[in-house]
Amino acid sequence: MQKPPLKAVPERFQVAARTLFFDKFMTGLIMIGGISIIVAVFFIFVFIGAKTLPLFRSADIEAKAVFALPDEAFIFLGIDEWREVPYFVSENADIYFVDLEMESKDYENRGTFRLPNNLPDDFVVSHISLNTITDEIRVGSEDGRFTIIDVNYRPTYPADTGRIIEPSLSILPILNIGREGHPILELRYGSRGNRRLAAAIQEVDGRTELHAVTLAQRRGLFAAGELTEDRRFDLTELMRDTPTQILISYEADSILVAYESGEVDYLFLTSTGFSLRQSFTPFEDSVEPGIVSMDFVLGDVSIVVTNSKGEMRVWSVYLDPDTSTRVFGHTKTFPALETPASYFSASRRNKAFLKGSENFASLRFMTTEDIRWEGTLPFNAVKGFITPRYDGMIFLDDSNHLHFWDLDDEHPIAGWTSYFRRIAYEGRQGEIYDWQSSGPVEFERKLSLVPLIIGTMKGTFYAMLVAVPIALLSAIYVSQFLRPSLKRVVKPTMEIMASLPSVVLGFFAALWLSPLISNAVPSVVLGITGLFAGALIIGIGWGRLPNHIRLRIPNGTEFIVVAIPAFVVGVMGWNLGVRIEDWLFLQYDADLEREVGSFRLWVVNTLGMDFETRNAFVVGFAMGFAVIPIIFTISEDALSNVPKSFQSGSLALGASRWQTAIRVILPTAAAGIFSALMIGFGRAIGETMIMVMATGNAVVQDFNPFTGMRTLSANIAVELSEAEKDGTLYRTLFLCAMILFLFTFTLNTIAEVLRQWLRKRFRAVE
Amino acid sequence: MSHSIRTNRNVMTKQADAANDSDAELRGDIIQIKDYNFFYDQNSQVLFNLNMEIPERKVTAFIGPSGCGKSTLLRNLNRMNDLIDGIRHEGDILIDGHSIYDPLLEVISLRKRIGMVFQKSNPFPKTIYENIVYSLRVAGRSKKSELDETVERSLKAAALWDEVKDRLNQSAFGLSGGQMQRLCIARAIANSPEILLMDEPCSALDPIATGKIEELIHELKKDYTIVIVTHNMQQAARVSDRTAFFYLGKLIEYNDTESIFMNPKNPQTEAYVSGRFG
Repeated sequence: MQKPPLKAVPERFQVAARTLFFDKFMTGLIMIGGISIIVAVFFIFVFIGAKTLPLFRSADIEAKAVFALPDEAFIFLGIDEWREVPYFVSENADIYFVDLEMESKDYENRGTFRLPNNLPDDFVVSHISLNTITDEIRVGSEDGRFTIIDVNYRPTYPADTGRIIEPSLSILPILNIGREGHPILELRYGSRGNRRLAAAIQEVDGRTELHAVTLAQRRGLFAAGELTEDRRFDLTELMRDTPTQILISYEADSILVAYESGEVDYLFLTSTGFSLRQSFTPFEDSVEPGIVSMDFVLGDVSIVVTNSKGEMRVWSVYLDPDTSTRVFGHTKTFPALETPASYFSASRRNKAFLKGSENFASLRFMTTEDIRWEGTLPFNAVKGFITPRYDGMIFLDDSNHLHFWDLDDEHPIAGWTSYFRRIAYEGRQGEIYDWQSSGPVEFERKLSLVPLIIGTMKGTFYAMLVAVPIALLSAIYVSQFLRPSLKRVVKPTMEIMASLPSVVLGFFAALWLSPLISNAVPSVVLGITGLFAGALIIGIGWGRLPNHIRLRIPNGTEFIVVAIPAFVVGVMGWNLGVRIEDWLFLQYDADLEREVGSFRLWVVNTLGMDFETRNAFVVGFAMGFAVIPIIFTISEDALSNVPKSFQSGSLALGASRWQTAIRVILPTAAAGIFSALMIGFGRAIGETMIMVMATGNAVVQDFNPFTGMRTLSANIAVELSEAEKDGTLYRTLFLCAMILFLFTFTLNTIAEVLRQWLRKRFRAVE
Repeated sequence: MSHSIRTNRNVMTKQADAANDSDAELRGDIIQIKDYNFFYDQNSQVLFNLNMEIPERKVTAFIGPSGCGKSTLLRNLNRMNDLIDGIRHEGDILIDGHSIYDPLLEVISLRKRIGMVFQKSNPFPKTIYENIVYSLRVAGRSKKSELDETVERSLKAAALWDEVKDRLNQSAFGLSGGQMQRLCIARAIANSPEILLMDEPCSALDPIATGKIEELIHELKKDYTIVIVTHNMQQAARVSDRTAFFYLGKLIEYNDTESIFMNPKNPQTEAYVSGRFG
């Protein structure tokens, strides 16, 4: 059945095209706005997530190329940082270079070439080893001489079009060590500035001896002079067993000697000679205590030791607080290797090292005890080497081939362990959480987020401790007690306070408030107590005041009656604080050389706690200023929006205004007040400028009110300038942001659920 | 100073006496309004030179067109208008012979004496039980037996007991509109006031609920002096003993309800009660 055709609508009933257009247009516009906000928030979340994800990836490796090598028996290899000209060392210290020509194709391939090592013909090599961090080749002879050959690379730009890597050797003069005429079995060398130290295990008529020598360089007028022997040390006396391994750090001030028994002696050089500082056994509790390998990771502070079962442990130097000396302690235990390792290579960029034998190789990261990559190679490797920029690995196999592998491991230190677990760091006793993101390349980075999260909670806690009572009480007062005419002035004033830039608050807190408060803690505490006590006394007195006085004071102006005496008692409390400080907290001031009343010194001396000028106590006040207006405004609105009929109903039943506020208005406004608290909480968690300026930014892990803190947000602000784009720190700062984001997101979600529940429960009847 | 303390004590004793001998003979006019003028601010006067007496244990109805000041007068009887900024009054209102504006009179004690039921029912977001005992709780009384007894007595007096006795601990918001208004009446009488002010208590209710409230008012006047503001002239005629007609802030006519409706003396009253304006 067909509908009857519509009759033409008379013009006066027609809807104007303009009206229709604007209706549709505005509906669309508002919808686009709403959706874009959701999309934007989601995008920020995804963006931050994408920035942090690479932190949790393990290393990727990929075989890149294989090169055939000249027919020589090579036993060591290394490469320049541009990965173009690797070097190979043969048993008799011949050094070959191979031009791989992988990066620059503009030059003729130099092929395989050899640089002279300048060793005389009578120098018969009895020992050769390579320092994989410094490219120093240590060579010892059958007759007790030694030298150090340092491989250097220099990029040159012979034409404008490209780069060529020019290798060179710098060779130390041939010097004697130990007894002349006896072969050197092991040789180590360390140099820093003018200090140079070499040590050797020597075989003398079937016995082993231990010798060391320091080298000196005469400084001429125009150039550095010849390097000559300075002092000789015969350390055979100090030996307690047959030495198998020795190590010298680049500090060149100590020797580590490993014995057949598995013991390690830490010999320290002083002006009077070497003395034994410490003796330890890395595998004391193992069935095979004998040490197969012992090597430094970057920084020469930690040693990686393995035994014949492939067990691997790390011992690091730390400052022993009892003796105030630096000694070794067991810090890490890595999973055992399947076979005893044959080669070791330390990264020059971080605390990673490569350890392997035959076709098994394992790339491990010392700080986090993490295995970055581990696997079976398609060949039997004689030696492995991490490229200087930690972007590749090269292997020498048993059929004289060079295997070139790419290594993609941008953030070896990053990971769950690094961020959230206790770690035994180099130089520090025990397992701790710490944040110390930058330093020289040898420095072990400390990236624990735990102290930052604790700092954030600490800052938020003290801020809320100050803000919540003040903001809520003033909101109740303004909405329920203050005369409406005064309220019209007070509320906008508080809202202006909310717009005060936090950098101004931070500035005040750091430069004015913190010295003031920190030097007068008892006065501040007693002053505030005095304010409350004063108000309480007035309150008690109020009920006893004769009616004809009390009832003459108009409603809404009682605050003058309360405020003035409360203020007076507060000032009395402040002055009492000064007296109490002089009386109870008398401490000897070393600077003034007399006893002074100082709570600050008392906290440090008697309680043994730290006391910093920029502390949580100060931050509580400064942050309170930032948070109070927000909590105040929103909860005042919530309280004022409670239907007037509740107030009238309660008052008509003979309730006082306070009873009305507490028993009826407050529960009804609970949902709104809860939102106010949550928004204030969010502001406190995310607040940055005040935290940066007034906290001192020291990383702490306690809730001591007299120390500062470093919050996640302040950390981002402070460290951003240090962070290289897409570097580990950069991404870690994004992780901080992510944690903040998740923190507030979770809190807000819980808060919203609770708020809905409260609203249902205390809903005003419609 | 000693004089004023004594006076204060006298006021309190008087109140106590009044509560005790509620069964004594009727004391005539409990509320006296004398030369009363009321201003919301300096320029807007809403009540003009009122003089009237309201008798004890009777229902007095205030009628008149919107804006005539009848609600304002009602709310002045227990000083609920004090919450408004800038109000001013002249003349006096006496309750039981004592001025409500006496500076020695605590306004809380005045409101304990005068219960009030509002136009829109306003139960608190609490349970039925807690709504009823609210006035006792704010007075600091918390003996369980006393509270229980009060709840039962008040709800029975408000004819609500049978309907809610099984759900005293449920939210008051679960009740119907009429039940809520009766709950508010029960709440108002829980503390045994002397006077009950009702500000258009039925204006938001349907006819059946209105009938129940009117029945209730009839019952309550045995114990309480009731002043009711209403727009509904039939209601005034049904429930009240005396009726006051206000127009533009002035008391036009005040007499027995029967006289007002059957035999109004003033032509304006006649026009209003016969429905010719309003």
